[in-house]
Amino acid sequence: MQDWKALWRHGRRHPIETVISLLVIAVIVWAIWASGSWVVQAADWSVVGSNLPLYLSGSYPEDERWRPLVWVSLLTLLTLVTLFRPGKGDRLRWLELGLPWCWIAMIPLGLGLLGGGIALSAVPSRDWGGLSLSLLLTACSAALALPLGVLLALGRNSDLPVLRLSSRLYIDLMRAVPLIAVLFFGQLLIPLFLPVQLEINRVLRAVVAFALFAAAYVAEDVRGGLQSIPATQTEAAAALGLTPIQSLRLVVLPQALRIAIPALTNQAIGLLQNTSLMALLGLVELLGIGRSLLANPAFIGRHLEVYVWLGGLYWLFCTAMALLARRIERDSPPLGGHTA
Amino acid sequence: MTPTMTPAITAHSICKTFGAGHRALDDVSLEVARGEVLVVMGPSGSGKSTLIRTFNGLESIDDGEIDVLGLRLNNDSDPRQIQRIRKRVGMVFQQFNLFPHLTILDNITLAPMRVQKQARPQAQEKAMLLLEQMGIAEQAHKYPAQLSGGQQQRVAIARALALQPEVMLFDEPTSALDPERVKEVLDAMRLLANQGMTMVVVTHEIGFAREVADRVLFMDAGRVVESSDPERFFTQAKEERTRRFLSQIH
Repeated sequence: MQDWKALWRHGRRHPIETVISLLVIAVIVWAIWASGSWVVQAADWSVVGSNLPLYLSGSYPEDERWRPLVWVSLLTLLTLVTLFRPGKGDRLRWLELGLPWCWIAMIPLGLGLLGGGIALSAVPSRDWGGLSLSLLLTACSAALALPLGVLLALGRNSDLPVLRLSSRLYIDLMRAVPLIAVLFFGQLLIPLFLPVQLEINRVLRAVVAFALFAAAYVAEDVRGGLQSIPATQTEAAAALGLTPIQSLRLVVLPQALRIAIPALTNQAIGLLQNTSLMALLGLVELLGIGRSLLANPAFIGRHLEVYVWLGGLYWLFCTAMALLARRIERDSPPLGGHTA
Repeated sequence: MTPTMTPAITAHSICKTFGAGHRALDDVSLEVARGEVLVVMGPSGSGKSTLIRTFNGLESIDDGEIDVLGLRLNNDSDPRQIQRIRKRVGMVFQQFNLFPHLTILDNITLAPMRVQKQARPQAQEKAMLLLEQMGIAEQAHKYPAQLSGGQQQRVAIARALALQPEVMLFDEPTSALDPERVKEVLDAMRLLANQGMTMVVVTHEIGFAREVADRVLFMDAGRVVESSDPERFFTQAKEERTRRFLSQIH
């Protein structure tokens, strides 16, 4: 009761603040009411409910749908374990050491499960689709873009003029071109550079184009990190007899990447959202599936339902990525208060 | 000191010019004997930091030669030669320059493991001994940002000692510390001097210089103005420039 009285007194003393707060509350309540009643009453969710396997894996062969399902489930499980594992403890040391490797292993695992080959029947990449394709595109291009971006950032900071200029040219060029153009170029140009016999598939071309594009942005983020490491760190490493490469690998890069985590998270989230552009190139990833379902006469006019559902899915996975990044930041050593 | 031993460091008329003709070192010659504690004093910009940074190749020289533990540095030194010197010469900086992303223990074991290729358990065992010597063994698993300035500087000393150097260079090791924290760092350095370490210390700590130094060297405008034992230096300096400096920092 004490709190309510205090609130009342505070409200009477600051009438303008009070009116604004009440207005905002009213708008929120109205928005929740309006959208809530649509979600519950007006919307027809059969376009979502009856097509769940399609959202997961597109036109993947029905008998083999368990493969994308297993991969996405493992990914979800790994996310949950990473997010909700208890803080540091000696008993869980194996978990701390093993988690990064599990994450790295998810990429070959995903490719193996979806593509098949050795023990599983091969499924051509044109049959991949849905959420599993979106996530795989994101994971593969991120895994390529990160090392490439780091190399570009180092190239831009290099003492060799040729290396510095060409890295800079590449970064500026890629950042001046819209992603959709890079993707179209990728689909059209990459085959031209390769011998005719080596027909690389559309998914791979998309991954390469995505990675080449994202690397330019990653490079700028990493460069920002590199710039914030004072020269005294390199000096201290040198004075200890470390070679320039050791100094870079053991002292400068770990700190620069740690500083770049928030910016790199933005890139990763952007990457996942941008995979939806692949729908324009005919890949039936998550958005592509939505569009092809809407072309089905049975679901005509269900745009709102499909897009709200897709928006929710993208939101869920982007939020998961943001939370993962925050957890990584929290678990990594405190940033140094560099005084010099 | 036995006179037959070669000096730890010999500088033959070294010169160093920064950018727009600023002469940081102007024909400096000096000798540091093995086991000697040399304190370098002088106003800021006198070239004292530049001088000791040339001893482990952090600054290049334009002219002259330096012999460090029998290894020669000149205006065109092979990076591998510099590397060889750095493995045998430890350095402590004004701003500690610990690696913030590594624990205290990892800060100390980094060079022994990566440069001297020691095994981790062996390197860690030695690191713990050094931390005990510095009185901060209980901080081993913390990160630098969690320590006070004085503790960080003692870690920096332990880190430099982990390579078992024959010479230690100190570049204003207490200038960035709170006044109450200065003593703990000076005590650690005193301990080191008592163990017979060859030390070159750039500092303004007169008490330390008087008590620990074998010799005090005074620099101004890139030149050595005078060099004498601490007692004479602080009571009856020969040069007017030295007396003016001393009267201002007293």
